[in-house]
Amino acid sequence: MSSKQHILNALKSAAMAPHAMPTIDVAPRIDDLVGQFEANLITVAGTLHREGGLVNLQATVDEHIAQGMQVISMVEGISGNREVSATAHELSDIDYAVIPGDCGVAENGAIWVNTKNLGHRVTPFICENLLLVIEAKSIVANMHQATSLMTLAPGEFGTFIAGPSKTADIEQALVVGAHGACSLNVYLT
Amino acid sequence: MSTSKSNVHAHKAEIFCKDESRVDWHSKALWTLREKRDRAAGSIPEWEQLRQIGSEMKLHTLTHLTEYLEEFEQNCIKNNIKVHWAKDGAEHNRIVHEILAKHHVKKVVKSKSMLTEECHMNPYLEERGIEVIDTDLGERIIQLAEMPPSHIVVPAIHMKKEEVGDLFHEKLGTNAGASDPLYLTRAARQHLREKFLSADAAMTGVNMAIADKGAVVVCTNEGNADMGANLPKLQLHSMGIDKIVPNLESAAVILRTLARNATGQPVTTYSSFYRGPQDGGEMHVIIVDNGRTDMLKDKILAEALKCIRCGGCLNTCPVYRRSGGHSYNYTIPGPIGIAVGAQHDDTNSIAWACTLCGSCSYVCPTKVPLDKIIHHHRRLKAEAGKLPYGKSNYMPLVGKFMASETALNCSMGIARMALKILPGSLLKPFSGAWGKYRELPVAPNSSFEAWFKKNRG
Repeated sequence: MSSKQHILNALKSAAMAPHAMPTIDVAPRIDDLVGQFEANLITVAGTLHREGGLVNLQATVDEHIAQGMQVISMVEGISGNREVSATAHELSDIDYAVIPGDCGVAENGAIWVNTKNLGHRVTPFICENLLLVIEAKSIVANMHQATSLMTLAPGEFGTFIAGPSKTADIEQALVVGAHGACSLNVYLT
Repeated sequence: MSTSKSNVHAHKAEIFCKDESRVDWHSKALWTLREKRDRAAGSIPEWEQLRQIGSEMKLHTLTHLTEYLEEFEQNCIKNNIKVHWAKDGAEHNRIVHEILAKHHVKKVVKSKSMLTEECHMNPYLEERGIEVIDTDLGERIIQLAEMPPSHIVVPAIHMKKEEVGDLFHEKLGTNAGASDPLYLTRAARQHLREKFLSADAAMTGVNMAIADKGAVVVCTNEGNADMGANLPKLQLHSMGIDKIVPNLESAAVILRTLARNATGQPVTTYSSFYRGPQDGGEMHVIIVDNGRTDMLKDKILAEALKCIRCGGCLNTCPVYRRSGGHSYNYTIPGPIGIAVGAQHDDTNSIAWACTLCGSCSYVCPTKVPLDKIIHHHRRLKAEAGKLPYGKSNYMPLVGKFMASETALNCSMGIARMALKILPGSLLKPFSGAWGKYRELPVAPNSSFEAWFKKNRG
């Protein structure tokens, strides 16, 4: 007997009576979604740029490039100075990555990023600093609503990103910048 | 594990409690997490509704596991994910090793997985020449210190920053005496980045497995799971059968409570959904039973499988906070560790590392009735004739004694009198272990029964 069959057989002796799936109907808080989003983004150590959109972002990117930084952009209309590399490992010296997000979540400051157009899945994690771009109108109230907007086709990888990477594993002291990006700036369009 | 006295919870706790200021520091660090959790939970009005939905969703899934496991496997296969089934820890380790050996893997980067701890996978792979590098900062610290985790979310919570500084000085070459958490974290980032870039394979645990998508969800704050899984071309994910959720909507409910209950964050930094391998890569999911179907056969123990491993019950537990995570004789400490581990505890003591105060059950985001389960474990131990030494001798006598009104009233009268007229030093030995850290009570003037007859009767 295969181990799968062994496990499924053992499940036949489970003791609990079948329980119905509950209805998931949670009232969203829909007042000032951008304000809620910004407050929570700050809580998770990110920064929101409400005004200026892509023009503002390109100006920032140009400054970074002028300072000799390595910038890769996957956002249409924003140009960096690096292209998608042949291997994921070659991205290890990227200082800034500019990446589009599908939607923002007001209740926790998270942004859904699907990696299908990034060339390498590791891009939002391996970069030293992350710049995410989302449309203001894509911000939804909560995670329940986000599940209907997030894209995740068969074979894909996507992630909710809420702020820069962080840890508090040494005496509970919060340190921003663990293994992923050390900062997160979000630009609204 | 051995049955010697040295592994008994009370004995290990006594060792931990020798340094009182350290115990206070430990307790306070955990209580801070509990307070952050309270603020996060209190900030969303639907918190109790989410707990109820979380509980019922998990109950629903656990009572339809066969269907969901099969649906999950079929969808994984469609997404080019290879699925393996393991009855126990030994089979899990064998499967992992086979996959790694086939790919000539020498170095694996691993993010946090309590399941691989439960299966004792690291030593198994290391014995076979495969280096396993734990990449969560807390896990890396305890791996370098050659210790087991003392908490499921913050594994190195028992260590002071000076101790981490000394360890990193010795192992990673940081400056002697340096203990600044920012400096040490940056050093670990640099050290582990090199490991991520040179690893041959990555392993992660699984927070949720989504049946109707054939996807696994992995949550971290540090980004270590995603740095690992997205660099080498081979990724492995180990999950217990209890990690299944029906769909994205169910996963969203858990994502709303998991981090809030663990650390008070609104959500973990990264909640990553893997629905297939990267281009040219290979993705494996290993589904493990290892005693879970046995627990499902007991409807009280079964509810422990609703757990989402947030660690909230550890942070609130008065016994855990004051006895430390290494006192439990099981990989997972605290209330949930007792609930899922007491059946494996050959010291038969951890089921008593609990005051039955119920605080854990009240903070649990999926309403696992932890105190009820722990109480049930005591019953199971008694029924199996495995009560800890002493309890099996005197408890039946205590039971008989307390069931007799005359015997109880008579002796309580004597006890009240003795407490009034005899010196404490003479009486203390009679209170046994109870009196070790407690003062004897002040005797009331009469029994409650007499008081009630006089005043309310």
